[in-house]
Amino acid sequence: MAESKALIFQIQKMSTEDGPGIRTTVFFKQCPLNCIWCHNPESILKTKQLEWFKHKCIGCKICIETCPLGALSLDEDGMHIDRDKCDSCGLCSEECPSTALHMFGKLWDLEDLYYEIQKDKVYYTQSHGGITVSGGEPTLQLDFLLAFLKKCKENGISTALDTCGYASKNTYEKLLPFVDLILLDIKEINSEKHEKHTGVPNTLILENAIWISDYVKKYNKKLWIRTPIIPNYTATEENIKGIGDFIVNKLHNIPERWDLLSFNNLCTAKYERLDIEWSLKDFPLISSDEMDKFIEIAKKLGVKNVQWSGLTRKKQSHDGDSKKSKETKLPSC
Amino acid sequence: MSKSNEIDAKEKGETKFPIAESHDLPPRSKWLRDYYFKGLEREWNNQIMSFTTGTDWDIVFHEGDYYINPEIHYYIQILGKNDRGVFASSYRSMAIPVGLTDNFWELSLPERRITFLEKVMLDYIPQEIISENDLIAGGRFNTQLSRCFNKDEAKEYWKKNIRNREAVFKYHKSGFGNLGAIPGHIIPDYKTVVKKGFKYIYEKAKKTYDNLTNEEKNGSKGEELRAIMISTEIPKKLAKKYAEECRRLKDEATSPENVERLEQMAKNLERVPWEPAETFWQGIQAVWLTHMLVMAEESYSGPGLSFGRIDQYLWDLYKKDVIEQELFTQEFAKDILGSFWFHCNTVYDAMIKVGNQGIISGFGQIITLSGCGPNGEDLTNELTYTMLEVIDSWYPSLEPKPNVRIHRNSPDKLLNILVDMIARSQGAPFILNFDERSIAGMVKEGILKEEAWNYGVVGCLENTMQGNDRSGTVNCNLNLTKSIELTLWNGKNMPGNDIVTKLGEQIGPEMGNVEDFQTWEEFYNAWKEQVKFMIRYTVDVNNLCEELRGDFIRTPYLSSIVRGCIEQGLDITNGGPELRFVTVEGVGFATTVDSLLSIKKLVYEDKKYTMAQIKDSIMNDFKRNEVMQTYLMNKAPKYGNDEDDADEFSKMVMETWAEECWRYKTPTNFQYRPGMLSWNYWAGADAGLTIATPNGRNKGSFLSNAICPTNGVDIKGPTAVTNSVGKVLGGKTESGEYINCLPNGASHTITFNPSIIKDPEHKEKFKAYLRGYIENGGTALQINMLDAEMLKDAQKHPENYKNLLVRVTGYNAYFTTIGRELQEEIIARESHRI
Repeated sequence: MAESKALIFQIQKMSTEDGPGIRTTVFFKQCPLNCIWCHNPESILKTKQLEWFKHKCIGCKICIETCPLGALSLDEDGMHIDRDKCDSCGLCSEECPSTALHMFGKLWDLEDLYYEIQKDKVYYTQSHGGITVSGGEPTLQLDFLLAFLKKCKENGISTALDTCGYASKNTYEKLLPFVDLILLDIKEINSEKHEKHTGVPNTLILENAIWISDYVKKYNKKLWIRTPIIPNYTATEENIKGIGDFIVNKLHNIPERWDLLSFNNLCTAKYERLDIEWSLKDFPLISSDEMDKFIEIAKKLGVKNVQWSGLTRKKQSHDGDSKKSKETKLPSC
Repeated sequence: MSKSNEIDAKEKGETKFPIAESHDLPPRSKWLRDYYFKGLEREWNNQIMSFTTGTDWDIVFHEGDYYINPEIHYYIQILGKNDRGVFASSYRSMAIPVGLTDNFWELSLPERRITFLEKVMLDYIPQEIISENDLIAGGRFNTQLSRCFNKDEAKEYWKKNIRNREAVFKYHKSGFGNLGAIPGHIIPDYKTVVKKGFKYIYEKAKKTYDNLTNEEKNGSKGEELRAIMISTEIPKKLAKKYAEECRRLKDEATSPENVERLEQMAKNLERVPWEPAETFWQGIQAVWLTHMLVMAEESYSGPGLSFGRIDQYLWDLYKKDVIEQELFTQEFAKDILGSFWFHCNTVYDAMIKVGNQGIISGFGQIITLSGCGPNGEDLTNELTYTMLEVIDSWYPSLEPKPNVRIHRNSPDKLLNILVDMIARSQGAPFILNFDERSIAGMVKEGILKEEAWNYGVVGCLENTMQGNDRSGTVNCNLNLTKSIELTLWNGKNMPGNDIVTKLGEQIGPEMGNVEDFQTWEEFYNAWKEQVKFMIRYTVDVNNLCEELRGDFIRTPYLSSIVRGCIEQGLDITNGGPELRFVTVEGVGFATTVDSLLSIKKLVYEDKKYTMAQIKDSIMNDFKRNEVMQTYLMNKAPKYGNDEDDADEFSKMVMETWAEECWRYKTPTNFQYRPGMLSWNYWAGADAGLTIATPNGRNKGSFLSNAICPTNGVDIKGPTAVTNSVGKVLGGKTESGEYINCLPNGASHTITFNPSIIKDPEHKEKFKAYLRGYIENGGTALQINMLDAEMLKDAQKHPENYKNLLVRVTGYNAYFTTIGRELQEEIIARESHRI
């Protein structure tokens, strides 16, 4: 029997960055990894989380009167959410007239979620798009996820699974029959570094990658590998060479494409709203030259389709180019 | 614009964002475009010339033509009730007296009008060829022409005019909207002129006239048909004069190329528009001369007077000349079109010396391109593509405005070109009209499915049939939000909002005090009655205008090229056309819907607020209750997010007001029908006259635009909005047939961040979105690609952005000239960022 409800923190329609065509991306809460560079800090915990937008708040203090646990206070520095007291009951955000208080995470039942995503079916059909389940790590809510993917497939909606790869083989065995495209993260080829920066070693992930890749070939599905390019962490030649080599030699170039996603710091504000200290908040963006260099390396290794997207820092005016605007390819946060 | 300034700015590093500019123009077109943009520095212009019969009582300016432009009401009446107004007085005082024929005053009104037009066009306005680079004859046409009244007619006209003015101004100032019997906004039968010539039309008129009984000949039918017969010969006579001018210039010409050009132009003019066009060049010449004469006759240049499916009715000529016989190259064809483009733009010379931003930037001489045939097959051809190339290379320019019809079978090639054009501009240089939904609307108003596929577009986006359909698409513009005020105050204005009415005057029906209503149904019923009243009131006032126009403002020349007028012996203003409509355009739809949804949910369902509290907050413009305002804005359902409850309710509201419109006709036998576009009222006049609304909107703030959701509440992205728009128009039947309750169409503007089409992969996705729009969306879509940062920079450095063209509801204007209010509004609009 399927899990009756799933905790989902966002449903993004007309998403154009999570697989082919026009998609609706469903973001599931909770993640087994804890990457130092995580762009979606609201996705990590299993529980609902409250955030507060300063520019929306009108200072009416209805939330403070509403909170049964006295977890909120407002002074000239802004709203203070006592995270120890707050049990994420959500009464405050329900009562907040301005939507300044927003709760990450809402329980959805299967029928409602399916009804919501099928509204855009016409666009999926026209664009060869569909739905993408992402997170967090969607496989952690396995029973619900399985039921949801099944339902989509039964109704002719194409599916993509965005996964960190850190789940049991058994999980993928169950899910993959109902998945058309797997978006698999390989972040760091060195297992020690992987463990240091994400909290877990990469052994299981790489094993799964090989298994998934075989499966994909056998059952005529699609696999895209994605690597976040983080300065000082994953953005090394060594790492790119390592992953590229792995794709060519261990995955036998089965992945249809390899996307290098450049680091962005647009999520800094999100960390602040969640009262989470983020060590990367002042990190500089990577340059487009460096990204181009990584692409070259990957191509030399023989990876067939590799490309990069994301924010990069503005070009230095070494060529006399006085271009002032940030060179923006893709804000993806 | 000054090119050197722009380069300077670039060198200083001030132009942060590249703005689309004209490119790849053939030399003739480039010269003409540059010449046009010299503006006042040109030695030639098309400023309005006015002409009078010379009588003391003459009227050369019919103010009723401009009633829907509230920004000029002031110039219509400054002093007392009987004031002639600034425009009328100045046009009258500068008017050139025209020598009249001896029997002039014995003629009927239509015959007087047409002989006057003939005299002015042939003998008073010079026939000029603008330049060596111009391939099309037809220069000045901006006029204010005497209405040719005799003394008694003038007296009667003026009496009724004052009555109308009072009624229309009261209607407007009370916040009901804007109305009047407006010229333009029609596709004349240019196709017949091209294919058969005016000769054919003359013969048809003559035959009809000859078949009249003597009694009829002596009556109004005879008068009208005699005037029409005279009018069909004016284009021939005018073309002959232009041909003479070409030959005169030819004698002076030195270069062989020029001699050849002028000889060919003369030959063209000796043939068309009297005879059928034999070449593409003649086709364009025939269309232009015919078109400019309509503007001269109506003394109303530009707005809505449209060309129809020009890539269809000129296709066989283009195919023969350019593709099969290679009579001339595609580049030369583009120069012919370039001349046509140039002349279309000269409508804006009307008040070139006074400056007339705001009034003129809404002009719309529409060309309809592409679209389906009778069996849903695609009719895109090489001429469609050539015209799109001309549009792209002339961009940014204002006229003619293209509307591209797309449908399920539109080819990928066409969509690729459209998306590339969108990517290169800030506001798409065209509006997209969606055939399946649009045709369903035409069928709804009784047009046969076998004919409806051949619709064209006028004005901004309004669907009409070609050559036989006067749809009065902007005659009535009803501010739907007024219904909320009338409901809350039991058929009266809100106390303090009695600008022109007597204090406490009962305007709408008394439906009871809302504070006493126990149920939502009671409230909704009261609202419905107020809406019904508003439509009746609109009809009553507009009928005065239609009647006055039918009686006094005759346009026999235009009538000759609108099918039905000859057959019936009736002027177009008086019930002549085969298809006769007056459209009531609903303004502020989403503001109205969201206000009703707020009351439904927060007063009757959740009982969060009482009616008295809501009314109190509205009266003090939420100044004492910011919390309530914020709550109303954020915590009630809104139209536009593809949410069933809100959208089904919106559809019910739509049906209620739309169906009511169909109940009425004008005394001139035009059928009222609903439509939805807001021109600039939602951001201008109507917004300023609208009190605070229960969706949390402050007094005087912008209303929602046409069929778009309230700004900023559509938080679920473009697909969700698109689905909502399609649903409120009717959606589809269970078997998948399209439904559309607004035959005229509904204006939908959507703004994207440019990143949505940043590379080929994303362009494919965007194309798929458009194909999705065909299935789920509305009738017409304006796409803007705007970056908020770019707009802010444009506000700071307008000198760097003179070319930045933005379009809202097909209302298209240079960003730097639209005024701070609308600029702020466009910047504030929620971009659909990806």
